[in-house]
Amino acid sequence: MFDQLFDAALLDSVVRASVPILLAAIGGLICERAGVFQISLEGTMLVGAFTAVSVSYVSGNAYLGVLGAIAGGMATSSLLAVGHVSRKGDPIVIGIAINLLAVGLTGFLLPQFFDLRGVFRDPAIVGLEKYEIPLLADLPVVGNALFDMTLVGYLAFVLVPVVWIMLFRTAVGLRLRGVGENPAAAHTRGVPVTTYQYTAVATSGLLAGLAGAQLALGNVVQFAENMTAGRGWIAVVAVLLGRAHPFGVLAACLLFGFAEGLGFRLQGNGFAVQATDALPWVATLLALVIARRRFIRLVDLTGRMA
Amino acid sequence: MRVPEPSVGARAIRDRLASVGTSPVTMALVLSFLLCAVIILVTGVNPLSAYAEMWRGASSGSGPRTVIDRAVPIIGMALAISIPFRTGIVNLGAEGQMIVGGLAAALTAIHLPGPGAFVIGVSFLAASAAGAAWALLPAIGQTALQLPILISSLLLNAPARALTSYLVKYYFGDPTATSTTTVAVPEATRIPTLGWLSGASATAVPVLALVVAIALFNGRTAPGYQSLVSGINLRFSRYGGVAVARQTIVSMGVGGSIAGMVGAHLVLGQSGRFVDGDLAGSGFAWTGLLVCLIAANRAVPILVAGSFFAALQVGGLAMQRSAGVSWQLAQVLQAIVILTLAMRVVPGMRRRGSSEPTPNLEADVIGQIAPGAADVVKV
Amino acid sequence: MTARPLELELRGITKRYPRVVANDGVSLRVRRGEIHAIVGENGAGKSTLMSILYGLVAPDDGEILVRGESVRFRSAHDAMEAGLGMVHQSFKLFPSMTVAENVVYGHEPRTGWLIDRAAATRATGELASRYGLGVDPSARIEDLRVGVLQRVEILKALYRDARVLILDEPTAVLTPQERDGLFEVLRSLRADGRTIVFITHKLNEVMALSDRVTVLLRGRVVHDVVTVDTSPAELSLAMTGRAIDPSRRRPEHETGATLLEVDDLCVDDADGVRRVDGVRFSVCEGEIVGIAGVTGSGQSELVEAIVGLRASTSGAISLRGRDLAHANVHGRREAGIAYVPEDRHRVGSAGRASTRENLLMGYQWKRRFQRLGWLRRRAVADHAAELIESYDIKVSGPDQRVAELSGGNLQKVVVARELAHDSPLLVAEQPTRGVDVAAIEFIHGQVIAHRDAGRGILLVSAELTEVLALSTRILVMFEGRIVAELDPHRTDEVEIGLYMTGAKEHERAGA
Repeated sequence: MFDQLFDAALLDSVVRASVPILLAAIGGLICERAGVFQISLEGTMLVGAFTAVSVSYVSGNAYLGVLGAIAGGMATSSLLAVGHVSRKGDPIVIGIAINLLAVGLTGFLLPQFFDLRGVFRDPAIVGLEKYEIPLLADLPVVGNALFDMTLVGYLAFVLVPVVWIMLFRTAVGLRLRGVGENPAAAHTRGVPVTTYQYTAVATSGLLAGLAGAQLALGNVVQFAENMTAGRGWIAVVAVLLGRAHPFGVLAACLLFGFAEGLGFRLQGNGFAVQATDALPWVATLLALVIARRRFIRLVDLTGRMA
Repeated sequence: MRVPEPSVGARAIRDRLASVGTSPVTMALVLSFLLCAVIILVTGVNPLSAYAEMWRGASSGSGPRTVIDRAVPIIGMALAISIPFRTGIVNLGAEGQMIVGGLAAALTAIHLPGPGAFVIGVSFLAASAAGAAWALLPAIGQTALQLPILISSLLLNAPARALTSYLVKYYFGDPTATSTTTVAVPEATRIPTLGWLSGASATAVPVLALVVAIALFNGRTAPGYQSLVSGINLRFSRYGGVAVARQTIVSMGVGGSIAGMVGAHLVLGQSGRFVDGDLAGSGFAWTGLLVCLIAANRAVPILVAGSFFAALQVGGLAMQRSAGVSWQLAQVLQAIVILTLAMRVVPGMRRRGSSEPTPNLEADVIGQIAPGAADVVKV
Repeated sequence: MTARPLELELRGITKRYPRVVANDGVSLRVRRGEIHAIVGENGAGKSTLMSILYGLVAPDDGEILVRGESVRFRSAHDAMEAGLGMVHQSFKLFPSMTVAENVVYGHEPRTGWLIDRAAATRATGELASRYGLGVDPSARIEDLRVGVLQRVEILKALYRDARVLILDEPTAVLTPQERDGLFEVLRSLRADGRTIVFITHKLNEVMALSDRVTVLLRGRVVHDVVTVDTSPAELSLAMTGRAIDPSRRRPEHETGATLLEVDDLCVDDADGVRRVDGVRFSVCEGEIVGIAGVTGSGQSELVEAIVGLRASTSGAISLRGRDLAHANVHGRREAGIAYVPEDRHRVGSAGRASTRENLLMGYQWKRRFQRLGWLRRRAVADHAAELIESYDIKVSGPDQRVAELSGGNLQKVVVARELAHDSPLLVAEQPTRGVDVAAIEFIHGQVIAHRDAGRGILLVSAELTEVLALSTRILVMFEGRIVAELDPHRTDEVEIGLYMTGAKEHERAGA
């Protein structure tokens, strides 16, 4: 059974499951580096998914849908930017409110605009095409998983080293990290803290929107109510586990993707669907327990650890 | 969260009522009704008639009964969340605690012999134990392993759904039913309705009593004082001798047990059986959290806000039936209220009690440059 | 001395706040290449003046001239651009980054988008060696000692080629020896043609270092004189308006039975580093034991272990013979330990709670305030009213939030609370830090009265004059150990400083 389970198809589903979470988590880690506690990734992804599907349906073009998702994501995250960065509101309350607003709003607009409930599936919705990288896609095992993805999918993986370089080798990255570590000090050095934080939040909105687009136009081609199903929260945990470090976050996302992919496989092999549904969550919880000593200041932000 | 002033006498109550008119919550409500009116307009419906339908749905016919029946679990969940929240702990796992409580109650009611009232009582106890146990997992995670409850409690919701679903499907299911559900609980173990309460479920009475009990506990007892201060500055309360680990465990345990009992009420009082997915999809946990936030964690405002949101939701359903506007608008309304309050668009909302001062950069730098300056500047 | 050109001038600077005029027509002239001291007590307006110079606060009236040109600072950045370099009292550093990264932050040497790390390291190293600021550019801030951090702050200012360095209470966290090192650096900067302005309330430093001194009192300039023409007595008179000598010694008191016994105490921190290393001492009734030491010598961990906020690794702590090893914080308070913490904001109070609520914490289970868990609200209110009155705490009412109180008032709240229940042992950390003179006098008086009533006090303070003035015995800590026990009558700051830095170590008297 072992080689039945752990084969190329599993790797493929791991990668597919990880991509949306990775995109959102990268946005989350940028916010964390800027000192902004961003837990509205879930709602932002959902808005992204909805706008991606709607725009694709109306325009017949998947990439316009992606643009729509970006716009939707950034609009959603602007609530956090204004409410927390400018107005000093509590980011936890704002984040939760945004998540609930997204569920309500998308659930409300679905029947209002498209006159249906539950799942919006239609041939007029254009999904994202997958592109093969020649030669590399023919590699055994990894070829299909890693080199036959949508453009958004490739972007997700490319972003990991790019963000690493940005954070640890560029001046912008240094300043961003300083803003998060000691905003008062950054301020006295002439670094505009508010600008950096706004940009970080906007970026996370953009990326979470993209994540939603990948979810709704890439992995499947449909919109279902509440389709993010907690992935945005997993992204938050991934940032925590990965200590806001691009490669750590990548590892955490792959872990979750692996648990989810494995779960589907086990279902196919006769395991109870409930056990495999719970698997990704329990796996994440276990990872948290094992890695508990290595938490970053997210712990301080959740505030109750003194 | 606003620090409660000791209310002594009628004058304080009158002052408090007078401030409701211009209070930030009222203004946030007005703002969100306006915003939602715009949203309704966009979908081509007259907002005034939609709101009229909402009002009609909540106030006439079966409205009041439905509102009370809906308010009970919302208020219950809000209370459950408020107990740890007061000490600064965000429990996002109330949904899971409610679900395991519901199953525990269903199984007890089905299998325990005895007179109805007795079985109901034991079922509630079982539910409360199950909910508490589910809440203790993240509590111990935080006290022993430093895992933030905010995250671990949330992560346990899906496993709660999965576990109960599994147990019902493979062990406790009703073989004759088409969906995954337990058999119906015996008639005698159903919670009666009260005629004088428009036919609403009797659970409303103990919930009311719970509101009073919690309000008294918070305002009048030493442990209540301790939890208040913990929510404002945990290090200070530790310094003052508060046993933080014990407080965490007890508050999560009590919160979880209340959530479990809400689950019991839903099973024994509403559906009469534990249906897989029913409790999870109800949204009471998130609504309860919203109510808790709007009510600034205080028991009596939770009663008021919970009833109001229940009315909103019932009215929303009616509005959907008659005006064709999706009931989700009620959810949108609720979220916008909290958002406007949290974004401090409307002045007056306090930040959830954190121990760090508001990150006003200028003040921060001044205060750090010369501690004496803060004395004079008092930013 | 020929008149050097004016580097920095303030004319008629006025800043008003709702209840007080912080700066009232302050005029100041600082010449190029001069070391100029600004002195005044807490609350005299030095801090506001600094905020204005730093560009954080705009004055209501008056103007600032840098090298003869009128300037307006809209932000700290503007002040930096004008050549003013601030060296803050509490460091504005990034713990996870290296010294070089902190120094160049905001103006990084670059190739394209990437930082030129070699250039940053080189520039930092050069500056450091040129002015005698020994520091390793690639060391991480979080690994460095407090005394070294100040050098990084100075390097930051020099990297931006500050012509005027402004230092705020620079020696607050330094040992006497480190202070001398700093003075050397400042003198070499002066020789380099730069101008130094430093704010302090320590008159001996003013006399030792400065060329000129300006005295502020209640927001106004009351004295402006060449240093060699004045004396500490004259300055002190100008600063306070009366001849107070805060280092005056208090009358002695007889000591009684042993109260606190600490025996071979070891405390390891979360990373396993030993912070307290076999400490042994006792505190008796009627005595004040003062602990002096450089920040990070283990005093904080020692205090936390005694009050129960930190677990000890080994050794014994007992109060009146009763072993406290298994008592938690509450238990130790019940046993009779009161604690005035170093950080009155983060540990000693809850900003958003009322004064009344703050005055209860730690004592809410006393029979006076509760019965079977039910609070006696009348008793709580009376208690608050009594303390507000007797300590003259300036509040609009017992319901006022303590976040709105001044530092001195808040400290009074904390001290009042801890002294109100006649606890046999008082542990006090930095009890008068950031507090104005009148409040300092008052708090010292309360502490002495507490001692005279037969209680024991463990005093931890970085303010050596305070330690010398109040203590019956002085213990010096260095690297987690007690390295000296001194008689305040027979020692001085210099000797204490030597022990604080480990330069000297000898057998304790009678050990």
